[in-house]
Amino acid sequence: MEEVAVEALTEQEAAVYDRQIRVWGVEAQRRLSRAHVLVIGMSNVLTELCKNIVLAGIGSLTLMEDAPSVSTVMNTSFLIPVEQIESDKSFLTECAESLKDFNPMVHVTVEKGSLEEKPDDFLNNFDVVVVGRSLLKYRMHVNSLCRKRGPKIAFLSVDCRGPLGEIFIDLQTHTYVLKAKENVPHSLQNLVYCSLEEAIAARWDRLPKKTTKLFYAMRIMEDFEQSNSRLPGQVTLDDLASVLDTRKRLCESQGMPETLVPDKLLHRLLYAEAREHPPVCAILGGILGQELLKVLSGKGEPLKNFFFFDPMDGKGITEEIPRPDDTPIIMQSAEIEI
Amino acid sequence: MADAKVLVVGAGALGCEFLKNLALMGVASSSKGKLIITDDDVIEKSNLSRQFLFRDWNIGQAKSTVAAAAATAINPNFNVHALQNRVSPETEMVFDDEFWENIDIVINALDNVNARLYVDSRCVYFQKPLLESGTLGTKCNTQVVIPHLTENYGASRDPPEKQAPMCTVHSFPHNIHHCLTWARSEFEGLLEKAPTEANTFLSKPEEYKASMRSSGDAQSRESLERVVECLVTEKCVTFEDCILWARKRFEDYFSNRVRQLIYSFPEDSRTSTGALFWSAPKRFPRPLDFTSQDPSFISFIASAAILRAETYNINIPDWATNPRRLAEVLDRIELPPFQPRQGVKIVTDEKATNLTTPASDESTIIDQLIKSLDNEICNLPPGFQMNPIHFEKDDDANFHMDFITGLANMRARNYGIPEVDKLKAKFIAGRIIPAIATSTALATGLVCLELYKVFAKHGVEKYRNSFANLSLPLFSMAEPVPPKVFKHGNQSWSVWDRWIISENLSLSELLQWFQAKGLKAYSISCGQSMLYNNIFPKHKDRLNRKVLDLAKEISKLEIPPTRHHFDIVVACEDDERNDVDVPLVSICF
Repeated sequence: MEEVAVEALTEQEAAVYDRQIRVWGVEAQRRLSRAHVLVIGMSNVLTELCKNIVLAGIGSLTLMEDAPSVSTVMNTSFLIPVEQIESDKSFLTECAESLKDFNPMVHVTVEKGSLEEKPDDFLNNFDVVVVGRSLLKYRMHVNSLCRKRGPKIAFLSVDCRGPLGEIFIDLQTHTYVLKAKENVPHSLQNLVYCSLEEAIAARWDRLPKKTTKLFYAMRIMEDFEQSNSRLPGQVTLDDLASVLDTRKRLCESQGMPETLVPDKLLHRLLYAEAREHPPVCAILGGILGQELLKVLSGKGEPLKNFFFFDPMDGKGITEEIPRPDDTPIIMQSAEIEI
Repeated sequence: MADAKVLVVGAGALGCEFLKNLALMGVASSSKGKLIITDDDVIEKSNLSRQFLFRDWNIGQAKSTVAAAAATAINPNFNVHALQNRVSPETEMVFDDEFWENIDIVINALDNVNARLYVDSRCVYFQKPLLESGTLGTKCNTQVVIPHLTENYGASRDPPEKQAPMCTVHSFPHNIHHCLTWARSEFEGLLEKAPTEANTFLSKPEEYKASMRSSGDAQSRESLERVVECLVTEKCVTFEDCILWARKRFEDYFSNRVRQLIYSFPEDSRTSTGALFWSAPKRFPRPLDFTSQDPSFISFIASAAILRAETYNINIPDWATNPRRLAEVLDRIELPPFQPRQGVKIVTDEKATNLTTPASDESTIIDQLIKSLDNEICNLPPGFQMNPIHFEKDDDANFHMDFITGLANMRARNYGIPEVDKLKAKFIAGRIIPAIATSTALATGLVCLELYKVFAKHGVEKYRNSFANLSLPLFSMAEPVPPKVFKHGNQSWSVWDRWIISENLSLSELLQWFQAKGLKAYSISCGQSMLYNNIFPKHKDRLNRKVLDLAKEISKLEIPPTRHHFDIVVACEDDERNDVDVPLVSICF
């Protein structure tokens, strides 16, 4: 049992958080309540994430709109009752107010302006930064800012395209407690993560053969959007021919055949346009939420470093990209088929 | 999906997430569509960490109603109706044939196996798809049940939870779980069962006494003893009486009983095989000596006295938890010294399920108890009733958990078992299920993906049952298992099949019907009653009767006016006298 007595929590916290304290303990709950999270962007999957971490009782959640993208969230978010869609307040403000209702003990605010305008140490205020749908170069920029600011800022990103989803995690270095098992006592484990730039720079022809195709497909979409001055999500089936060209170019430069990424997969990504499938948002929001809570509490082994979901094969797949050079190439995917 | 008629059973954590997803997906959002959500529970504070459609100001309100209203705010076209009924055998007039026949699909959002099994049985009977899911901390699982394509939920069961043997809980605990089980049971016995029993006596004294006399067994004697304790020997009128009662309970549980136990089984005693009686896992107990200076003893007395007072509707003074004032009262109490006795029977058999040791002459004891009741009843104010207390784990101010924790920890102290704090005690005694929002969201997301497949009427290979553990993370998915198929001759069937006989036939015609299938029906039952069994010669008289009439007469079958069939369970054997598991049989009239 935890050494920290439940009296360390307020009466309100102990009552509301009772059932989750049974899962991660009082000490972890206290750490959550001191944590500060910044979420840049708002989409349906980010809505799910925010719901989960606010309910869990983080210290503060700051919302920012910084990376332009196309999204359907304004009409489809469960955070905002339909009659308030036309209100005067900004979308983020409406979201923040709803989230506050979910858990009044969490400090939810909206940060105006863009990251560029903020002082250099702005990110120091946060333990975790989450970025949603955005251009790759924006994500890499925020990721490098997190790394520059010191080892204690975790970077997570997520995007849901129709029914397909991708999560990326960079914790720089992370120490966590591995739960005791049978004859093995509690132990401290250390993980070293690579930056988003390093991950994206990984040569495709050096990745394990069974690496999920969705990884490559997402890179093709990113490249297409950037090269054609599109906002992320601003794609349709009309772009198929162009996207196939992008595939050809990228595969060639990476020393891989075009068959690496099936037409069908790109078709599905384009068909999705800016939409996010509600059940998949719930799934990704749940997974990302739990990862964030693991990072903040220091309990449990976090994902390293990509997670993909495709309902077509109904699997959730973890990929480590790139793999550390000294370890042999074995099946890294965490999916198990029965 | 928009036109679908959906039943969601449960409006808790899973239910809230489902409603949100379904509203966003546009399920039941046309004029033809309808979603019914039902739950008999009300909102509590501890729900708020997952059940995000509820707010602080909704505490005390019905879950289903609040959830439905919140979901409608998400999608005004969401045609959702809220009911407050538990789906169980007791509500079959609400969830009747017409109700089930008009449902397209059922989604479970439950928190216990029994309810799941019941809903599953209804879905099998009415041939409806069922989407099942559950969470436990960071783990979750989902299951798809499609009529005729997959096995039903009840087809594979987890083995039942292992329960500690009764004598372990009663006399030989060796871990805090045993102590808490015992504490929970004593709480119920002292504060709920005894006052309830007393009230039964008080409302109909003559009938009660008569039934006690006529049964004359150990169980009746025990019930009577409880009533006599409440109304005569340990009756409480003032709060000081309650303190005395609490002090006596302490002495009895944590001193006297232990002294008796170690008298009957000294530390060095041996079993018939020569092994030490008190060898592991048994722990040798030591009695506790009461002192009013020990805060944990005082705390035990306080919570016990307060709860006892509640059962008598005695006013609780504001000094009830003041250690100094309590000590003043306690120091004035002198209890007689305890002498352990020879020949006291203590059950040591782990397989024993009943710890009541019958006395040599129960009826005499019962008579004596009744006499003492008769003498006392005139002293009670007219219309006197006790106030039974029902265990409520989540109200921190009601002293329930304080009392249970106190009971368990004192007992643990007797047996040298490490004690626990109130939080952990509540977890174990309250049988709390750890729950978080993330795994709940994940489970419902996975189920909603399967929902699309149900509406698309996919083949079994497209569905997925899943298991996930967010703490690892681990995701595993598998195709559902087809139902077990039974064969006889050239027929085959599964749990999904029913044999339907479309005429109102007689018993002998029914037997012939089975004979034509090469089966000998040897036993026929309806509900809980047996209509026919070929080992009873008298049953031959029934052969010419209509089965329907037999069902109405013997099973007291009540058939709702809208229903034109009834079901019977038939046990059959084949020509080689092997038993054959046949489907449920429905006879139409």
